[in-house]
Amino acid sequence: MSELSKDQYYVPHLAKWPIVGSIGLTVTVLGAINQLNSENPGTPWVLYLGFAIILLMMFGWFGEVIKESEDSLYNTQVDTSFRMGMIWFIFSEVMFFAAFFGALFYARNFSVPWLGGEGTGLSTNEVLWNGYEGVWPTNGPADMGGRFEIIDPYHLPLVNTLLLLASSVTITIAHHALRANSRKQTIIWLIATVLLGATFLFYQVEEYVEAYTHLNLTLGSGIYGSTFFMLTGFHGMHVTLGAIMITIITIRVIRGHFKPESHFGFEAVAWYWHFVDVVWLGLFIFVYII
Amino acid sequence: MKYVIVILLLFIIFSLGSAMFYLVKGQGKSQNTVRFLTVRVVLSVLLFLFIILAAKMGWIETHSPHFLNP
Repeated sequence: MSELSKDQYYVPHLAKWPIVGSIGLTVTVLGAINQLNSENPGTPWVLYLGFAIILLMMFGWFGEVIKESEDSLYNTQVDTSFRMGMIWFIFSEVMFFAAFFGALFYARNFSVPWLGGEGTGLSTNEVLWNGYEGVWPTNGPADMGGRFEIIDPYHLPLVNTLLLLASSVTITIAHHALRANSRKQTIIWLIATVLLGATFLFYQVEEYVEAYTHLNLTLGSGIYGSTFFMLTGFHGMHVTLGAIMITIITIRVIRGHFKPESHFGFEAVAWYWHFVDVVWLGLFIFVYII
Repeated sequence: MKYVIVILLLFIIFSLGSAMFYLVKGQGKSQNTVRFLTVRVVLSVLLFLFIILAAKMGWIETHSPHFLNP
């Protein structure tokens, strides 16, 4: 493909990765549904296959875009389209987390108090759930999943907040270093960010093991279990994705990609990491503490 | 004291949003994105320190660790 002028739009030929990504997501969701609904689900091979296809899509698609970018195939038109793509992607992310935070807010402030007899829920409480107090945290009046305990916010979640905050500090130092054209510093601080993110994920898994084995807090623990695991679980997936993307950005910096005045790939991934950290702050406050 | 947490959170979201605005609007030459992201990190560290202080001083109550459905 020859170099494009400023006004020409670059249309990629045979873009196979979007459909590969769609297949990957479909297989992943089917695997997850099977895992959650079967009596004896066994090893989640379908789920693993879904993840594998998504990873294949990521590496294939990232690889193509990086190669095209380094071959100078992109002009200012394409640069603008990348930025537009970023804002739509983030808009979808904000709406995604807004839905789950919204569910938590609605359950805590409306549904549970109504079942406990507040407002117009007086007769509901007396006739259907007499004796139910409607105090958060709760697995609901039917005692879904049985008695459970909740995670102490000032142990593992506190450590994890510190880890993720530290990783935001390190990626910000890397960002300043890249703008100052100090590559060695950029690489060191990016590696530190990935390591802090990986440690966060390790402790998050520890927390889940603790919840399932000692606290009887599971995805089946009524409204508390559902909102807790959906919010923290999807956040964990975002940290995983962010850590993979920062690893790729680090390899690119090592290979000499990006310039102090032109590094959209770096800046978009750094922003994504900051976003994931802010979501965690919200989780730490609204899920774990309050 | 809850208001301090909410106000700090709102400022954090505002600086993150401003960084996004300059990320999308600029061509990578402006310093504004990294500036607002730095402000975001500093505010977040302050919020974290305030939460620790508030918990120590008993200004915020947590629902943990309670046994449920006794």
